[in-house]
Amino acid sequence: MIKGIYFDGETSSKKEVSLFYDHQGRIGIQGAHLKPVALNMLTISPRIGNTPRYIEFPQGGQFETEDNDAIDAMLGELTAVKSGGFIYRIESAHRIILLMVVFVAMFAWGFVQYGVPYFSRELAMMLPADASRYLGQGVLETMDEHWFEPSQIDADRQSKLQDKFAELINNLEYTNDTQLVFRHGKQTGANAFALPDGTIVITDELVELASSDQEVASVMLHEVGHLYYRHSVQSAIQQFGLAMFIMVVTGDVSTSSSVITALPAVLIKAGYSQNMEWEADGFALDYMKRQNIETEYFASMMEKLEASHSTVFKTCMNDNGVIADCLDKALKNKQHDENTIGLGGYLSSHPLSSERIARFRSN
Amino acid sequence: MEIQSSAPVGNASAIKSFEFTGNAREYFSIWIVNICLTILTLGIYSAWAKVRTNQYFYGNTQLDGASFRYLANPIQILKGRIIAFTIFVVYYLSGMIAPMAAGITMLIIMLFVPAMLVMSMAFRMRNSAYRNVKFNFEKNYKKAYFLFSLPLLIFGIYFVVLIQFAPQQAVGDEQQAQFPFVIAIMPLIIMFLFPWWEYLMVKFQVVHARFGISEFLFSAKTREYYMMYLKPFVIMILAAIAFAVVFGGMAAYFGAQPKDTKPDLSSIGLIIFPIYIGMMLLYLWFFAYITTKRTNLVYNNITIAGHKLKSQLKVGYMMYLYVTNTLAIVSSLGLLMPWAKIRTARYRASMTSLEPDGDLNNFTAVQASKQSALGEEVGEMFDMDLGL
Repeated sequence: MIKGIYFDGETSSKKEVSLFYDHQGRIGIQGAHLKPVALNMLTISPRIGNTPRYIEFPQGGQFETEDNDAIDAMLGELTAVKSGGFIYRIESAHRIILLMVVFVAMFAWGFVQYGVPYFSRELAMMLPADASRYLGQGVLETMDEHWFEPSQIDADRQSKLQDKFAELINNLEYTNDTQLVFRHGKQTGANAFALPDGTIVITDELVELASSDQEVASVMLHEVGHLYYRHSVQSAIQQFGLAMFIMVVTGDVSTSSSVITALPAVLIKAGYSQNMEWEADGFALDYMKRQNIETEYFASMMEKLEASHSTVFKTCMNDNGVIADCLDKALKNKQHDENTIGLGGYLSSHPLSSERIARFRSN
Repeated sequence: MEIQSSAPVGNASAIKSFEFTGNAREYFSIWIVNICLTILTLGIYSAWAKVRTNQYFYGNTQLDGASFRYLANPIQILKGRIIAFTIFVVYYLSGMIAPMAAGITMLIIMLFVPAMLVMSMAFRMRNSAYRNVKFNFEKNYKKAYFLFSLPLLIFGIYFVVLIQFAPQQAVGDEQQAQFPFVIAIMPLIIMFLFPWWEYLMVKFQVVHARFGISEFLFSAKTREYYMMYLKPFVIMILAAIAFAVVFGGMAAYFGAQPKDTKPDLSSIGLIIFPIYIGMMLLYLWFFAYITTKRTNLVYNNITIAGHKLKSQLKVGYMMYLYVTNTLAIVSSLGLLMPWAKIRTARYRASMTSLEPDGDLNNFTAVQASKQSALGEEVGEMFDMDLGL
């Protein structure tokens, strides 16, 4: 006899009753006006934790009980089915649960570390070249409006650099839309950007730092690398993939989860970005080795770029310094003046410069 | 109707509290198995996962000695999810390939949003039951579209204005001056109208819901919604002013330093870090305050067949829950999420009660008609846990 409550399905009235079964497999309810029914005419809800179990009778009535164990015992006797149901048994097996925790943790890590980047890379390369252009519309205009001023490099030098660029593109057999433009960087200082629509921007300040066209060319190669691998599209896909993953795993969309995922999302995003920078470096390295160009050019350019963003350099330049002298001062001083609050490489969008430089010097 | 009731007559009108009887360990197992099997089945198990999760929370919610039940059929949910997922993928890919197509697809999808919401309400209600009497939702599409046409109209005007005043190459000073003003005013208008719109939305949902054949009454007033948002609004303004003052002060202080002093990172950090923490706490408070007040406001104004719902959530305790939950989840890399969900559910249930008018035996169920509404499953994708 299993104690429970009976609801007839026509009204919400409840009746405390007892369920019984006989050896012929017929289930009946003592206390309700019901003829005993064969087991196969009933719908028995699956066991979910210790939530009440429901047994539905053919004419609409429902028996509700909290005594799951008794129901399972009854089912065990009357049928060959083992207690509770397959999923319930998995949920109750502690060892399996432990295994699953490990599995999910490993999967999550693998997915974020390898799965998302791999998937994004493949998808980015599969899409037509126009996809990047769609993302890049209007970016240069916006940058011109807010950050840049027209370039002050003399026409001669610009023309020589453009020739160099054309030569690179030719050798690489890179056929997608691309163009090189120069700008006075102002706040952004010595810098280079690869825009999604194929435009590469190099600032005057960067050109001034370089002591040869080859050094500027190494930067061009790095930027073309970004274009070649379609990093902007990859980035967009990665963000999407990551967001979807988090949403699916955590299941609910309440605001608390967005606060929670903000910090790891930032770390992961930085990680992806570092990988892409490393990849663009690799692209440049490959080309230089193939064409027998000294990889030292890239290394020294990197060093100068890093030095140009240090406070020593900036202070020196503010005092009407000469670039070469200030660079010298900064390179000698070489304090790791990274502007993040002590977390070093993790939050930065670029890998540590020292590692990048070493890669080009060790070859 | 003479119904046998085993509850002693004296208890019939005593306030009955909701009770949540679930525990974290049990739910953790269900939760981790859900994730694991969903991964292994490439998402197919997610339909079963949802049913088990919902039934765990429904079944452990008790009122007057009986539990709630979630009856959805996982196969139905799976069908809906496959359809919704396909639409979504088509939209995203079309965006990459032909921007125009994406825009059009988006518009078409947006046209269906009100219908989707109605269907998702209907799906959830019809698959919920108490004492073997099902809930229901009267699908009023016209009303839903009307409700949504309001914000759509406003956003439409907003976009038209934006395009109209978009900066062009040779623009006169006049247009430049008008542009920021108009842009600034639209969000203000939206903010001002939002509480009213929320009131209309909630009312729509409550008034069209059914338990058996009984209707729900919603007695809240629009001004109560405005009052609810007033306090946080004022506090946010004050906070914004405070931050502006602090940042302005910092900028002035550092600007006045001689040029070649190295920026004192540690002292900047000392100021920025607590400010950042302060902002996060303020955000959490805001969220806790609105959720608490909103839940109380809705439940305290719902009546059915003379029985009144009551909700007495406290902002302070909810905020404590959110802060501790957030800390726990972050530091456990997500593993303590089930625990967080359980304790929140437990608190909410304990603060919710029913002031009955007689006993609860007199609700009549709808005659069982096998009208499986087509397409309701697709609406299920929109059925997100809104935390109410």
